[in-house]
Amino acid sequence: MTERLESGAATTAGMSARGRRQWPLPKQADPAAPLLVVEDLRTYFTMESGTVKAVDGVSFRLDDGEALGIVGESGCGKTTTALSLVRLLPANARVVGGSVRLFGIDLGTKTEDQLRRYRWREIAIIFQGAMNALNPVRRIGDQIAEPVEVRLGLPAAQARKRARELLELVGIPKARAKAYPHELSGGMRQRAMIAMALACDPAIIIGDEPTTALDVMVQAQILELLEDLRAKLGLSLILITHDLSVVAETCDRVMVMYAGRVAEEGPVGTVFGSPRHPYTQMLLAAFPDVNSGRRDLGTIPGEPPDLRTPPPGCRFHPRCPVAMDVCRADVPPEVTFGDRLRVACHRYPPGSDGAPRPLPRIRGAEPEAAP
Amino acid sequence: MTAPVLTSGELRRQRLALRARGWRDFLHRFGRRREGLVGVAILVLYTILAIAPALFVGPLETAVTATGGRLQPPGTAHILGTDELGRDMLNLTVHGTRISMIIGFLATLVTVSVGVVLGIISGFVGGRTDILLMRITDFFLVLPTFVLALVLTPIIRDVLGGGGEILGIRISLLVIVVAIGITSWASTARIIRSQTLSLRERAFVDRARVIGGGPLHTMWHHILPNVINLIVANAVLVFAGAVLTETALSYLGLGDPFQPSWGQILNAADQAGAPGLGAWWYLVPAGASIVLVVLAFTLVGGALDDVLSPRRTGRR
Amino acid sequence: MPPAPRGSPPAHGATVRSRYFLRQVAQAILTVAFIVLVNFVLFRMMPGSPERILLGRNPNVSAEALQQTKERWGLDKPLIPDQFVSYVVATVQGDLGFSFVYRGKPVTQVLAERVGPTLLLFGLGELIAIFIGLAIGAYSGWRRGGPVDYVGNGISLILYSMPYFLIGMGLLVIFATALGWFPTYGMVTPGATYDSVGEHAADILAHLALPLATVAIGLIGQYSILMRASVIETMNDDYITTARAKGLTGGRILRHHALPNAMLPAVTLIAVNLGYVVAGAITAEKVFNWPGLGTLTVEALEARDFPVLQGVFLLLSISVVAANLVADLIYGVLDPRVRT
Repeated sequence: MTERLESGAATTAGMSARGRRQWPLPKQADPAAPLLVVEDLRTYFTMESGTVKAVDGVSFRLDDGEALGIVGESGCGKTTTALSLVRLLPANARVVGGSVRLFGIDLGTKTEDQLRRYRWREIAIIFQGAMNALNPVRRIGDQIAEPVEVRLGLPAAQARKRARELLELVGIPKARAKAYPHELSGGMRQRAMIAMALACDPAIIIGDEPTTALDVMVQAQILELLEDLRAKLGLSLILITHDLSVVAETCDRVMVMYAGRVAEEGPVGTVFGSPRHPYTQMLLAAFPDVNSGRRDLGTIPGEPPDLRTPPPGCRFHPRCPVAMDVCRADVPPEVTFGDRLRVACHRYPPGSDGAPRPLPRIRGAEPEAAP
Repeated sequence: MTAPVLTSGELRRQRLALRARGWRDFLHRFGRRREGLVGVAILVLYTILAIAPALFVGPLETAVTATGGRLQPPGTAHILGTDELGRDMLNLTVHGTRISMIIGFLATLVTVSVGVVLGIISGFVGGRTDILLMRITDFFLVLPTFVLALVLTPIIRDVLGGGGEILGIRISLLVIVVAIGITSWASTARIIRSQTLSLRERAFVDRARVIGGGPLHTMWHHILPNVINLIVANAVLVFAGAVLTETALSYLGLGDPFQPSWGQILNAADQAGAPGLGAWWYLVPAGASIVLVVLAFTLVGGALDDVLSPRRTGRR
Repeated sequence: MPPAPRGSPPAHGATVRSRYFLRQVAQAILTVAFIVLVNFVLFRMMPGSPERILLGRNPNVSAEALQQTKERWGLDKPLIPDQFVSYVVATVQGDLGFSFVYRGKPVTQVLAERVGPTLLLFGLGELIAIFIGLAIGAYSGWRRGGPVDYVGNGISLILYSMPYFLIGMGLLVIFATALGWFPTYGMVTPGATYDSVGEHAADILAHLALPLATVAIGLIGQYSILMRASVIETMNDDYITTARAKGLTGGRILRHHALPNAMLPAVTLIAVNLGYVVAGAITAEKVFNWPGLGTLTVEALEARDFPVLQGVFLLLSISVVAANLVADLIYGVLDPRVRT
């Protein structure tokens, strides 16, 4: 079943804000709405041993042309959040609450069939480890042409032509379209995945650890490519990674997640320059910095919580050096300060001035009494 | 800070405790799988019958001691009917259990032993030995081993001569054990070799070598304990295959009418013309037993496989 | 725009592919050579004087007959290399000796007479089983957990645990004896005369029905379980998630992504199982007295007709090797990764 081009209201607002987008906005789009608004998203996994609350109240907003980085430890729910946007979850997972609005369209109310139309055409995903994410028995040219042919309804020859154009766009010679994934190097496979993601000219590209499996040189090239494409095509990007330096280099905003919830979110410069949430502070302290002088790298004592039985109140409190009594009891509310900065921590109660409160001691501090 | 030094006694106790916990974990997870439990139940039942058949139905009836009329359908005197010599089907089938299970067990023993030894040696020693052994293994994998066993059995029997028993099993049947064992080891060898190869790369093997253990010591004390899981899971499936192979060989006429296995019972049925005469009671008991036992092994093997090497359940 | 680093230029497609294929053919030939060797070892090197084996265990064999046989078979010459060489030469030329049972008939002729019915039975059986079995398996694997899956899987498991001859006996008792819809044995009604080819064919078909059903059912049980497992395994792969992320329909994902990959281990497993299929073949033929290689084997076993047994072993082994080769070649076509 091929999908035809959606005719209908192509708004100038949508198109000019994002450069040369080829395909018009979806019919139901609200031109005034922000690109993506996620509110209180909850995704739970049902396993033999219990219910894992992988994503438990995550909210954020992505504006046109923005690049948002989502960072956190393994298992904090970053990937699940991204997959929940298009409900690309395994059979034992379900989005149990919250809303996802794309162009103002509530995706949560869509059936699977309806939701499928938004996949790839509006939100495309680049997965980690392109060796496994590409079909090993089909040529990459065909795999890139597939969404063009099937989702956009172009005839096969034209689809293949566009595939070759996309390959060129990401820096792969057109002749390699006949190659199979195993015939390409790791970096080229990742480029091919990017080309594939661009096939339907999506509004948002989600990169799930796109550079983790690559060596540093290739990583730099891929990031440069993404920057380039963003500028050229006006893409919006959600970059999921545990590597803070990647986010610092590529993203406008960053969202720090911990144990299924948002700890802190704001412009990259602000969050990395003067982090507010204790977890963010400790995360940054654990990261080596070429430019700074010698210092001991901090570690965060303890382990992330078991999400089947997360701790009450703030989920970080068992490992937090400045945890207070209220942290063990109540979930910290998200407080927004100027400059679109959000923090979820009792040290920044609603109504406070939002100035950053550094930790008393950075390295391996044991929890102490309230300041 | 230096690590506390443990005495060898404490080390051993620690190791045992770990192993005990491992067992409890395993039994817990295995118990979750219903099919595995059903399989175990069936196997326990048949093992009991196999150990002491005479306890349940008395000694094996012969043509002389037959108690019923010929080819009688099931009735009050004989709940499963009789064969063409008037022997009680229940009696025959239960005694057949012993033969089929014992031959299956012995054949599995031989198959797995040969397979494990060759697999570990091949994987551990590597080099030319490995290449040579793998060539032979591949050859046996391609060969229709059933036909080989089929042809080997009469030859070996002719060579060994007449009857006689070892441990209550006639030589002619033990020949089947050997024939199955010689021909079925290849897939086990392959599996064990794979595992040995990946184990060899692990650090503890290097450590053992540094301590000064020779290759045999390493293989016995380090590789073998880590492939036991695999061996057990494999042995269960090998057992199923051995039962099927012995059944087929007996059905084709290589069984022993004096110690009939289920396959031999079915052969006798065929020769008596039972299918054509509609004597279904001659076919069902032995047939159903075969299916139940093989099914049980397959279920248990599958459950073991699941528990010992859990599959990915999906994305993070 | 950052240019991509040059990957290695792809090797010229055709030569790479033919290298793989040539390798497979060479291995097959090597295996056949081993088979011939095993055959020789089995029948000549076994203790118990070979000439007695060749002549049958007739105690009244005269000394001259013994001597003649010795000379004809070259048994008075040393085992290696003379006997071996003459054996290989004879085999390659198609001289497999003479049958005991069919006094003086060359083994090759005996085999030739029985190959046809077996090919008919098994060729058709395999074809049916491959199509139906793989389809059922793929569907079960795709719709895992559905009612079709449970029932289908249950039935397949049971069939998988049944020896072929048991299936055959069951079908025979129900459909031939009890219901009388089909004849109970043979390939044709004994002593029948036909007015036309059509009648002859119809008679054969009537006799073929139950044996064919037996073989097909047995194989379907095996292949559907195989395919189901393969599809389930494939569904866990990452590129399936990519395909779902692309917004493709389930049907398209199955046809273009899951199946092409699930077929690969399926082909391998089918090839590996061929040896066991042969076992089933022989026993299934016995149930219905189908005049093929299977019943020939049974007769030869009973009569200790070793030349024929030897010939059957050789023929079946080579057939399995050939079938494996075909499977390997097909695999090479389906999976581009092995060709590099």
